[in-house]
Amino acid sequence: MNSTLDKLHAILRRDLLTALRHRSGFVVTLVGVFTELAAFYFLSHAIGPGFRPAGVEYFPFLLVGTGLYTFFLMSAQAFLSAVEQAQQTGTLEVLMTTSTRPAELIILSSMSAFSGKLFNLLVYLFAGVAVFRASVHANLLSCLAILILSFAIALAFGIAAATLQVAFQKGSALLWLFGSGFWFLSGTMFPIQSLPRPLEMLGRAVPLTYAIDGMRKALLQGESVRTMAGTLSVLAGFGVVLLPLAIVGLSLSLRRARLNGTLSFY
Amino acid sequence: MDRIVFKSVGKIFRHRPALFNWLGREREGETIALRDVSFSTSDAAVLILLGPNGSGKTTALKLISTLLLPDSGSVSVGGFNTERDADDVRRQVGIAVATERSFFPRLSARENLEFFAALDEVRRSERRQRVKEVLHDAGLEQSADTLVMKFSSGMYQRLGIARALVKRPSVLLLDEPTRSLDAATTAHFWTTIRALAEQHTTVLIATHNFAEAVAVGSRLLLLHHGEVVADRSVSRGESADTLRSFYFRMTGEIDQAALNHL
Repeated sequence: MNSTLDKLHAILRRDLLTALRHRSGFVVTLVGVFTELAAFYFLSHAIGPGFRPAGVEYFPFLLVGTGLYTFFLMSAQAFLSAVEQAQQTGTLEVLMTTSTRPAELIILSSMSAFSGKLFNLLVYLFAGVAVFRASVHANLLSCLAILILSFAIALAFGIAAATLQVAFQKGSALLWLFGSGFWFLSGTMFPIQSLPRPLEMLGRAVPLTYAIDGMRKALLQGESVRTMAGTLSVLAGFGVVLLPLAIVGLSLSLRRARLNGTLSFY
Repeated sequence: MDRIVFKSVGKIFRHRPALFNWLGREREGETIALRDVSFSTSDAAVLILLGPNGSGKTTALKLISTLLLPDSGSVSVGGFNTERDADDVRRQVGIAVATERSFFPRLSARENLEFFAALDEVRRSERRQRVKEVLHDAGLEQSADTLVMKFSSGMYQRLGIARALVKRPSVLLLDEPTRSLDAATTAHFWTTIRALAEQHTTVLIATHNFAEAVAVGSRLLLLHHGEVVADRSVSRGESADTLRSFYFRMTGEIDQAALNHL
């Protein structure tokens, strides 16, 4: 356990130092956050106060939806880019010869990528509340529960993308599906009840739908863990199924790559 | 007990054409990288892997490091099978690959080595000292805090060797280790290799450099088309020219340099 924490610390430190030394990257991210929030703020004003999806104002509704969606997508994207880059530079092969198990290494690396984007999500939500005056009635315990479960599911998607990248060099294909399909079906910008019935049903099979809905209830309406038990159970169910599946898939794809000599193919 | 054992090892790389291949010229086929290769080596040996391009040298190193799995036969390191006990094998093996830029460019040399030392389970209390030692051994003390994106090819190569040494491996694998090094650094590196062998580290070097082979090697394995065509000791005082003649005689290749000399 100590050794795993030590390795996680080393990976987090590596990623933090790399991010800090891309100073312009930080500034661009901040500018991007404020530009996006401003666009949503004025969009909600243009639509007017009469539109209250799920019983809340439209700007906070967008804030939570787009914030969580971006967290999911950008985290998986960042992690996949790191794997692709490691394949291109030859770092991946060297990492796979260290005393750390390959699957452990990839899981720890994905945790680091997702932690970075979690920070971005918190900045995004904070800016939405502090600068653009989104009204929130947060239940912090519920928010934390949703965040932890969302994190586990997002990890599973990141690891699945890395698995496809190692096995078929097609991690970006999963992300494309993830990005466009989930954006449309998960209620990021409008309630899924607005979709035709079959698409609404499809939306209910997407874990992000429950993460976004749960976070809206927890952050905007202050619902407690007890009243959100249903949503939390569904999210936990997705996590329990998807995370082990992704890890098994990753182990199999790494074994296949070692047999075929394709670990560094990209 | 032998440190490294290859038992009838075969490795084939199969090529499958990409989807929609009618647009390209790629054909299905296979490359036999190693064919029924058997050898073993004890500790305190410097084993030189010689052979033309594509003879299977790098494949052999990758099989030992667990980056590849054999299709037939078995490879074991320190009594551990590379397929079943890969974790135990990786703890013993350090590898410096020919890919020079396999580092994190926005970290310094020291930060890169500390990162890899953590993954190699070097204790936190020892890590700083260990990194300092290998930076010294690689002659990189002055550049320890420079971001590696500013390194030259030779510095990358030295850092690669330092990384392989940081976990104090009992088996050290080096793929063309002096390709980009200057004469002085090469001489220093050869001294380091000889010292490691005296400390009972088994060193395998894949190289095309005959001078390097005779300078540090205690034994020689000559590979050609994935097969071992010669397995012999390197005699003390053997010259690079003698080895060169032996190499061309055994592989049947044409020594263009010798022809030009006539």
